[in-house]
Amino acid sequence: MNEARSAGQPARDHAMFDAELSGAVLNVQLLSRLLKWLRPYSSKLYLSAVLILITSFLAVLMEVIISRVLVDYIIIGEPNSVMPDLRMIELTQWIEVQLGLDPLFAAGLLFFVVMTIFPVVGHYHRLTLISAIVQGLRDLRQDLFAHMETRPSSFYDKVPIGRIMTRVTNDIEALYEMLRGMGSLVGEFVPFFVALTIMLSTSVDLTLLLLLFVPVVGVATFFFRRATREIFRIVRNTVSELNQNLQENLSGMQVVQLSEREERNFEAYTAINKSNRRYEYQSINLGTVYGAFNDSLASIGLGIIIWYGGGAVVQDQMSLGGVILFTRFMNMLFTPVVMLGEQLNVLFRAMASGERIFQALDWDEQIHEPINPHTLPARLKGKVEFRNVSFAYSPDVPILKNVSVVIEPGQKLAIVGPTGSGKSTMVRLLGRFYDFDRGMIFLDDIDLNDLHSRDVRQRIGVVLQDFHIFSGTILDNIVLGNESISRQRAIEAARTVNADGFINRLPEGYDTPLVERGTNLSQGQRQLLAFARVLAADPEILVLDEATASIDTETELLIQDGLHKLMQGRTSILIAHRLQTIQEADRVLVLHGGEVKEFGTHQELLDLKGIYATLHELQFQDVSIDDKGNLPGHL
Amino acid sequence: MRQLCGVLLVMQQLCKNDGAFCKHKQKCSLKSLRRLIPFINPYRTQILVGFAAFFVARFFEISAFYLVSAGIDAIGEVVSSFQNGAETELSQPETFVDYLLRVLLIISTIVTRSDLKFTVGEITLGIVACVLMRFFFVMFARRAVRRASIGVSYDLRQRLYASVQKQGSDFFARMGVGDIMTRAIQDISLIQRLIAFGSFMFVIMIYAPLFAVSFMLGKSPSLTLLVLPFMPIIFIYAKHVAGQLAVTSREVQERLSSLASHTQENLSGIRTVQAQAQEESEIKRFWSTNNAYAKAFYAQARINSLMMAWMPFFASAAQLVIIIYGGHLVLTNELTVGDLVFFLYCLSMLLQPIRMAGMFVTIVQRSAVATDRLYEIYDAVPEIEDRPSHKTPDQIQGEFQLCNLSYTYPRTDVKVLKNISLTIRPGESLAIVGRIGSGKSTLLKLFTRLLDVSPGQLLIDGHDVRDYPLAQLRSQIAQVLQDPFLFGEPLRENISYDNPERDLDVIWDSAEAAALRDTILELPMQMETLVGERGVTLSGGQKQRATLARGLIRNAPVLILDDCFSSVDTETEEHILSRLKNMRRNKTTILVSHRVSTLRHSDRIVVMEEGEIVEIGSHEELLRLNGSYAELERAQTQGAKVSESAVSGGC
Repeated sequence: MNEARSAGQPARDHAMFDAELSGAVLNVQLLSRLLKWLRPYSSKLYLSAVLILITSFLAVLMEVIISRVLVDYIIIGEPNSVMPDLRMIELTQWIEVQLGLDPLFAAGLLFFVVMTIFPVVGHYHRLTLISAIVQGLRDLRQDLFAHMETRPSSFYDKVPIGRIMTRVTNDIEALYEMLRGMGSLVGEFVPFFVALTIMLSTSVDLTLLLLLFVPVVGVATFFFRRATREIFRIVRNTVSELNQNLQENLSGMQVVQLSEREERNFEAYTAINKSNRRYEYQSINLGTVYGAFNDSLASIGLGIIIWYGGGAVVQDQMSLGGVILFTRFMNMLFTPVVMLGEQLNVLFRAMASGERIFQALDWDEQIHEPINPHTLPARLKGKVEFRNVSFAYSPDVPILKNVSVVIEPGQKLAIVGPTGSGKSTMVRLLGRFYDFDRGMIFLDDIDLNDLHSRDVRQRIGVVLQDFHIFSGTILDNIVLGNESISRQRAIEAARTVNADGFINRLPEGYDTPLVERGTNLSQGQRQLLAFARVLAADPEILVLDEATASIDTETELLIQDGLHKLMQGRTSILIAHRLQTIQEADRVLVLHGGEVKEFGTHQELLDLKGIYATLHELQFQDVSIDDKGNLPGHL
Repeated sequence: MRQLCGVLLVMQQLCKNDGAFCKHKQKCSLKSLRRLIPFINPYRTQILVGFAAFFVARFFEISAFYLVSAGIDAIGEVVSSFQNGAETELSQPETFVDYLLRVLLIISTIVTRSDLKFTVGEITLGIVACVLMRFFFVMFARRAVRRASIGVSYDLRQRLYASVQKQGSDFFARMGVGDIMTRAIQDISLIQRLIAFGSFMFVIMIYAPLFAVSFMLGKSPSLTLLVLPFMPIIFIYAKHVAGQLAVTSREVQERLSSLASHTQENLSGIRTVQAQAQEESEIKRFWSTNNAYAKAFYAQARINSLMMAWMPFFASAAQLVIIIYGGHLVLTNELTVGDLVFFLYCLSMLLQPIRMAGMFVTIVQRSAVATDRLYEIYDAVPEIEDRPSHKTPDQIQGEFQLCNLSYTYPRTDVKVLKNISLTIRPGESLAIVGRIGSGKSTLLKLFTRLLDVSPGQLLIDGHDVRDYPLAQLRSQIAQVLQDPFLFGEPLRENISYDNPERDLDVIWDSAEAAALRDTILELPMQMETLVGERGVTLSGGQKQRATLARGLIRNAPVLILDDCFSSVDTETEEHILSRLKNMRRNKTTILVSHRVSTLRHSDRIVVMEEGEIVEIGSHEELLRLNGSYAELERAQTQGAKVSESAVSGGC
């Protein structure tokens, strides 16, 4: 059984989580995967699409009223029947007759109706679109978070939190930018095509002539992007170099000043600042040419319309209103093309973000859970047995070698050994945080691997050395989301481990909010809080990785007493640093290089004059002082 | 620039908010922006030339549209004369020079508003000429202004770097690295944007209405007067929305940052969460943060969308006036069709600055705050003043006389040092022991003037510490700080930090002395290995030994080691100390430690408690004294129970 498991768990290369991605410009597969999260909101997307069609049509209609109805029909008085007017002239005439209005006012009324509906429809188009995107991405973020939340310790050992953070925040934001950008591109291109249809039916030649500009913009954009990509990259690099340099200097300022390095460091910074300025200038030189060029295109188009229109009107192929219509459509024609160029950047960035998100979602590393898990009895007796357990985080560096130990119910075991001897690893395996290679661990004589990790962890209370305080109230931190713990029980637990003393002195007692991971609490107070958290959950087995940080004497006494009560009636495994803790344990296990070297009571091991005796001599004499950071004898 | 600020004032009064608080804030913001003048001054000409170029560019832009309307009229005329059966003679200029002259003539008619008639072809050429001119002027203007903005941010950065280098520990306690970084990154880029884009918007806000209104008035004063009242309405609405958007975008920012901090906090506590099997409840908890952000985002998008609906509505209403009244004027032959189209264009030009006003006010206000924040750094007076008296000897021998030294950190009222008097003899090795917060580090920082003595006196070789040049003090007193900080540079440079040109042999020697040789040999690139945040991660003990090597390499007459063995194991420490004893023979060495095994090597040991010296003497003397040092010694060598000694051994 164990073989099968280790075979199914190939060594993972966690650097892959960070690897440079495909770099594909347009990843269709990725887009279609993204659609999965938008699907629940597809009705909104469809509605939005219908609305954009309507609003584009209305925008075109307003221009038609101005050029065809006002200019051709009313002012020149000679509607050219060949040219399209979307029946607006007919409609104006109908209004004239029905309401007995002057043609000018009839056209005005028509315009008023259209201009009133237009913004309303546009507004609802945008609302439905944004609502669908925001909700879809919210769901994607939620799924991503849930996925990350359930990755095992082996994952978090290797992948820095910052990387995951970026995915949950920045990468999702980038996707939003992309979807919103694509939405507004559609919002620009639909009017583009509606206008194009009208233009084509007005004058094919002039339309085609103007469309010649589109590839020009495209080519210009392409070359601009290519020319600037490298410079933008360098600019970004110099900016981050500037920031890194400054940041480092600030952090090490005292060293800088003591080493008289101010001058030299200032020169180094100036050099970076100068090169940043040089590349910024370069990017400005390119950017201003491109920007001014894009701005000018629509105006050049106007010149062409006048030139061509002059001839066409004389030959009666176009009306004057038709020429005006073309001039009014110029922006509708060029804006989307220019915008497309701008959106490409966003699209590139978002593609990379999307890939990173899906890579994280596809990261299927997990703890091996049994198919038919054993159910534990309501209350465990608390016997723990390690039988020939071997383990390695990476294949070539064994951490535990053939470790065997039995801890009887209610016993206290202290594990001692130098850093890297495998103490914490033993505890982690017991909590099912890692799948292990060889050997077995039993909980009340049940194979740990036949139990679901969640069940195991509910029975084992772990106080880590760097126990984490969450922002929230004191009570939140004791309960930690466990709905089965009542306020009463939480307070009871805090009282038992001597935490209620300092809690009651806080302004709002148990409801005092903790800022920034409990920095408003002292190290000792946080330790007591961690005890309360474990006691409230009432596990059968206690695991404590004793803190080595400085704690004042008074709190130290409270902690020792609290620990004492916490261990009562529980099988306890202590990674001990304090002499007192070790001396109170029933058995001491000396771990060295992943092997059990000595095992027995404190006195037995001292008499053995082996590793423990030496460690005792060398280490604990100091640690007890270092831990406390004060001199005994001074209260 | 004074003028620019004057106009800014006008702008601000235009955009004045209601509350007295805001008025106050705006006055402040103008005052703050004035402080940018010294930074803008070097680029004054560049910016003014840019503004002038923008002016010309605007003229050509509106000219192009003016010609479009003239072209429309020309077409209309051709058509009507054609219909009337009259053959119009289209005069055809023949040579390139002819064309050029005609184009110049066309553009001159825009200025003179003469009634010369031109052919459609000539007008087209005029349009193209205007567009080309506009292209060059816009390009030139933008380049000038943006380059100036880069120059300003370059100078702002240089000034910032130079300022922080002179600051002492109180400044950094007050500001914090993160805070200074934010100022260096965000505030400077805000000011850069103010100059690059803010001034651009500003120019548009001045020039666009100027040109539009003057051209419109030339065509039809009555229609102009009918259209203009829409402007204040749109402006008021735009300002109202800008206010709303400011509120919602702050909300979105807050939600986003709480989303980020929630994620960060959860992930850093992931082991705790998983150990307590609370993943499900954490995922549920995340949902509320996640959803709140989505909601805030949607609320902002909604206001934005409403604005995008109302603005065109107002614009269309003005268009409606042009359609009805303008149409009437055309029918009564007071205006031409071309004029009508021109009015529609001028309308959109008028709307441009109004759309920008909100954004502009925001940029101005935010950069005013940014300026203030930067000046908080620029104006900070260095705590430590270097005023050497030149009477001091060139070489420090290493005698220290401390007379009634006290120290209180700024903005606190706890005396960290109380009346310390002590003489350290040249060549002596002195150890200091005491619990955290007993004033050891503070005392040591006075020796190299990382902090300044007050009140009391610190004499080095008989001269006041403040009379020595800082450079001499810090090069002849080598101090290793408690926090082992390594720069993101090769290890070689980190060890020989004060002088990167040292011989590699010397660097190896000091590494050897700090028991770092074997560690370095195991590193991928040995001495050239990049360390620090982005380099190879060293353990705490390795870092401490590297900083120790950095102190030893200076071979200074005085060496101060502030608790820099705490993460080094006892055996290695013994090794280092015995070497140190040889190296430092006849040189003053001061070290702080908690371990008796370290302390006992020193000639004298000082026991500090709550800012006072409570015991002083050699190891043996202090043991005989049977005070707190003796207590410590017993606790460490005999492994006495901590709690027992704490309870029974109190004094």
